Amino acid sequence: MDSINTLFLLSGFLIALSILASRLSSLFGLPLLIIFLGLGMLAGEQGVLGIQFDDYSLAFLIGHLALAMILLDGGLRTRLKTFRVGFRPALSLATLGVFLTSGIVGVLAMWVFDLTLVQGLLVGAIVGSTDAAAVFSMLSGRGINLNERVGATLEIESGTNDPMAIFLTIMLVELLVGDIGGIAQTLLFLIEQFGFGMLIGIGGGWLIARLLRSLDLAPGLYSLLALALGFCVFGLTSVLGGSGFLAIYLCGLMIGNRPGRHLNFILPVHDGLAWLSQIGLFLVLGLLVTPSDLLEYALPASLVGLALIFVARPLAVLISVKPFFKFRWREIGFISWVGLRGAVPIVLAIFPVIGGVENASLYFNVAFAVVLMSLLIQGGTISLMARWMKVEVPLGVTPNRRGPLGVLPENDYEMFVYQVDNQDLDDVPIRLLRFPSGALISALFRQHAMLHPKGSTRLMLGDVVCVIGRTDDLPALNRLFNGDAKLKRERAFFGTFTLDADALMSDVAAAYGLTLSPGEQEMSLGEFVSLRVGGHPVVGDDVGWHGIHWVVSEMEGNRITKVGLRLYQ
Amino acid sequence: MTLQTILPPERALYGVPGGSKKRVLEFFSTFIAQNTPSLDSQEVFSRLIGRERLGSTGIGNGVAIPHARSPHCKTPLAGFLKLSEAVDFDAIDGDPVDLVFVLLVPEEADDTHLALLAEVAGVMNDADTRTRLRRCESQRELHDTLIEAIDRQAQQPAPPAP
Repeated sequence: MDSINTLFLLSGFLIALSILASRLSSLFGLPLLIIFLGLGMLAGEQGVLGIQFDDYSLAFLIGHLALAMILLDGGLRTRLKTFRVGFRPALSLATLGVFLTSGIVGVLAMWVFDLTLVQGLLVGAIVGSTDAAAVFSMLSGRGINLNERVGATLEIESGTNDPMAIFLTIMLVELLVGDIGGIAQTLLFLIEQFGFGMLIGIGGGWLIARLLRSLDLAPGLYSLLALALGFCVFGLTSVLGGSGFLAIYLCGLMIGNRPGRHLNFILPVHDGLAWLSQIGLFLVLGLLVTPSDLLEYALPASLVGLALIFVARPLAVLISVKPFFKFRWREIGFISWVGLRGAVPIVLAIFPVIGGVENASLYFNVAFAVVLMSLLIQGGTISLMARWMKVEVPLGVTPNRRGPLGVLPENDYEMFVYQVDNQDLDDVPIRLLRFPSGALISALFRQHAMLHPKGSTRLMLGDVVCVIGRTDDLPALNRLFNGDAKLKRERAFFGTFTLDADALMSDVAAAYGLTLSPGEQEMSLGEFVSLRVGGHPVVGDDVGWHGIHWVVSEMEGNRITKVGLRLYQ
Repeated sequence: MTLQTILPPERALYGVPGGSKKRVLEFFSTFIAQNTPSLDSQEVFSRLIGRERLGSTGIGNGVAIPHARSPHCKTPLAGFLKLSEAVDFDAIDGDPVDLVFVLLVPEEADDTHLALLAEVAGVMNDADTRTRLRRCESQRELHDTLIEAIDRQAQQPAPPAP
């Protein structure tokens, strides 16, 4: 009985402490995951609480559970339309990129630790993949609005590159303990990992999404069913020899991209589950490590870490993205920098321990040190880098809060809450607002009191307004409530004037005295900018031409609809 | 060539009747053709409307900056119209427009064109300037306010490009 009570007390205490400590992250700009890891270490055998924990197989199990939940949540949140620009580069990074990173780090580790080639490569393979949890939480937690090409590539990469790293790790572990099959068998294993992972993930996800949509359940059960079936997909895929991690990510993707009422119940719960997984996982990994062992490897491991950050990752990104896809140099630079390592390498480092490879503690401690460095150096500077590399796109006003009303099964009405901080709206009667026709102001709060808005009610700065409308009304509403400061920032980015992308280039050229080559005369402005950007444009792309920045300011799918005209000043 | 010199007091118009976007541009074209003998009102109008067809020059906050190149224009010209009532200009934010800064440039002066446009945009980007212009009660006051805003803008270092 005692041990159960202790378990409750300690786990509750540590998780609560982690959540409270997460406030430190915003205060000091410390990456969150470092805090969880640090707390785990503090609670561990050489820390304050002195908890003895070296059950690698339990940690291994927790690791798999947590990663599966994190990837499911990541998939649920990834919008399928971002695949338009992000999928192919991400896939290249997830395969070729991981291979290159692992190879480069591996060769260096061999030399630093005086290992055999295979042992060195195992170190490389373990730290080869970026971590979904680290990337997802860093990207969303910092209020960074990356341009779609960079954001989508990083997100999809982190969701899909684990199978490659797992494959390499398992293969090398088997090679070391001596039960590796022939080349054909190894290749088959790789194909099975990706093939079954994709097939079952997409197929299962599609079925689950349909099922969830057609079922009428108590609100709390949707998320549980999604989780349970997600685990089924993970298990089934793994049993058949595929990558469960890839499958559950794709499964989440399919579920999250089928709109419906059920998503409103699923998403918040999975957000919480993903947090719990991250906290739990990092606490456990922090508990598992022995700081004094870590110190023993500190110096050579930091060499490996630095090589990964400054040499292997940039080279791998350069080789696997730059020649095949039209990325700008600063985008390559940013993607190289955001090669965040997180839980995956540490969980992978348990493989050699479980597989009984000699010197297993080396892999674990090196992986741990590399992850720590990556989180500190790369994670700590991510917003700085985003600004420096100019991969951000200004974000206009969005509702402070929004939520579905839950009255209609499809295309439901939502409630949007805005605060009035646009100078131009001060003292304006509601009936003069340019409101989208389907939306209405349902309540207006002023100094904690609710007013009944009428057409003649005049808005005041600081008012909180509840609007009922549909998702389609959102752009118009956002524009209406956009404050002057934000508008100015947007104008400085997208330019003062906005042209329709349908405008003919010959007309644009005539208006501004620009010279065109013969083929360009018949193009529309959108086609012209698209061509100059090369392939898939995203909002925020700009083309310098004739002393003007032509900035993509609005898109519909793969088509540019509005182009901003930013003048050099 | 500075913005101040191409905007003489008689081209800052106060209380211009609105009506519609087309009427406002028509009004300006007729006015500028009378004011500047080399210009033809029909030609100016079609150039300005031609530019609007590529995308409205309404930049938001009730401001529009119609602009065009004209072969008959010898030197850059600016005009300012304060409308008596705001008109729908298909502006980017959908708000009706009551402050209109028009710019006409000769065909060969392309770099000047862009520099002047950037300057005008900078002046009209300032919320304070817009408020003051809206409060003006006479043509004289309007011109003084504009020139003062342009001077102020010229002294400020250009905002860093993002």
